Amino acid sequence: MKNLKDKLIKNQQFLIIGVAVILMILFYSIFFLIPVFKGVLGSFYEWNPIEGTKDFIGIGNYKFLFSSPLFWISLKNTLLFTLLSVVGRTVLGLLLAVGLHSTMKGKNYLRSAYFLPVIMPIVAVSIVWKWIYHPRIGLLNMVLMMFGITGENWLGNSSLALPSVLMMTIWKDVGYAVIIFMAALLNVPKSLYEAAEIDGANKSQIFFKIVLPTIKPTIIFIVITSLISYFQSFVQIFIMTKGGPGTSTYVLSYLIYNEAFVRYNFGYASAIAVILFLIIIFITIIQKKFIIGEDE
Amino acid sequence: MNSKLNLQKKIVYTLLILGAIVMSLPFIWLILSTFKTNKEIMGFPPTFIPNNWTIENYVDIMKNLKISRYFMNSLFLAGTKTIIGVYTSLLCGYVLAKFKFPGRDLIFQFIIFSMMVPYLIMVIPLYDMINYFEWSDSYIAIILPVFLSSFGIFMMRQYLKGIPNSLIEAARIDGAGEFMIFHKIVIPLSVNMISALSIFLFLWNWEDFLWPYLVLTTQDKYPLAVALNMFSGQNTTDYGGLFAATAITIVPILVVYLFAQKRFVEGISMSGIK
Repeated sequence: MKNLKDKLIKNQQFLIIGVAVILMILFYSIFFLIPVFKGVLGSFYEWNPIEGTKDFIGIGNYKFLFSSPLFWISLKNTLLFTLLSVVGRTVLGLLLAVGLHSTMKGKNYLRSAYFLPVIMPIVAVSIVWKWIYHPRIGLLNMVLMMFGITGENWLGNSSLALPSVLMMTIWKDVGYAVIIFMAALLNVPKSLYEAAEIDGANKSQIFFKIVLPTIKPTIIFIVITSLISYFQSFVQIFIMTKGGPGTSTYVLSYLIYNEAFVRYNFGYASAIAVILFLIIIFITIIQKKFIIGEDE
Repeated sequence: MNSKLNLQKKIVYTLLILGAIVMSLPFIWLILSTFKTNKEIMGFPPTFIPNNWTIENYVDIMKNLKISRYFMNSLFLAGTKTIIGVYTSLLCGYVLAKFKFPGRDLIFQFIIFSMMVPYLIMVIPLYDMINYFEWSDSYIAIILPVFLSSFGIFMMRQYLKGIPNSLIEAARIDGAGEFMIFHKIVIPLSVNMISALSIFLFLWNWEDFLWPYLVLTTQDKYPLAVALNMFSGQNTTDYGGLFAATAITIVPILVVYLFAQKRFVEGISMSGIK
């Protein structure tokens, strides 16, 4: 009797494991592995669905890629954009979190304000900012005018367009870092602060010697997740500048989109995507080394 | 010494308030602008608070742009994707957390790896595949590729690892079947996590743009984000209408946020703790 019951339980367990595993295997095969594999493979083909071509050309796409000025411009812009937005989000987020952590009054209201842009849809936010940057009717120039400063054509000027998109991105995303850092700051034991104060440490010593080391894992978490997502930033560029003026805001993701879905060069676009993939893998490996190095 | 400290505190506080204003000003400006006439929006010098309040922009987009249709599309898509995503995340997360079977850790490692792979490398073959199955311009093409959520499975697995085995064992001894245990014990135990994950998935699905933009060709099927891009790209002079449509995309989230702020913040904080 007991055996029968055990058997029944085992069968049931087999069933629930089976359902979940089959679901995962099917899903990740069809919507992940096969597409990734086909994407990598496709990068070696002259592949254009409109012209109906799919011919193997070896590393032809890559050769073309490395000799294309637009690719190098996009790569440079991507690296610049990613680096500055990661630094901006992390540093500003940490400063704001420390500031908010130390205030008593209205902490929750302030935190809500900082978090507000994070939850807003990126398409809507990009449209709003496109208008904020408008040279004639935009909010930014209106505010500058109040201080007697002449405004700029923010998105129409090739040296200001990328920094403007960058500012908007940091504005939108910094609140996420603020929330995560505030949660981490709460976990710094009070006794550590007290001990340091008794030892006569001043504020900046406490910050650099006690707070920073304690929340280091959180900082690494923010940096890595930001890196991976900013390398792929797309919507704000697509809505606000379409890569322009000229090629001043071309980033890799926009280049991939443009090659794939405007010009239908699927093979060439896949090659760019593979490069992006390799960059992200490289960063992940470095980060792994970095964190393992920390533990030792 | 004390007054110096006080001054420092005041400076920090002032800066924080200034920052908070910078954070909210674009939204206030947007909402106020939706109540201006087109003439006032384009007028110079620009105004901040409307001179003549009007709701014409909203009336117009209801009538001319089928905005309620797009709204319902977004609600349907985001809702369906979220419900499916939360349920499958719970199921897969539970199985990965509480059962032993060969290949389990491999699957879990694989799921973590999948979160690092850029979406853009898959999007071309996916697009090709959807066309091959003749699913383009259908909601199946939008819902199926997010049937599972790597982030959701990861989050649920981490959480469910922490629930006591004794509860599950006790139910098993009482003769409850495995699916019954999952539905009657595991799910009720995860209410907080479920609401956090629902918020995440809903926000992501609500703002989802590129894939629906690529797959859908019939305008009547567009979700708000895609429709909004369409208005924004059209060469019209109806800025009031564009602003009002943008506001409609934002307002539901604003309202939910005002009521469920604590949940949002808790959910975000949880996502950072590994």
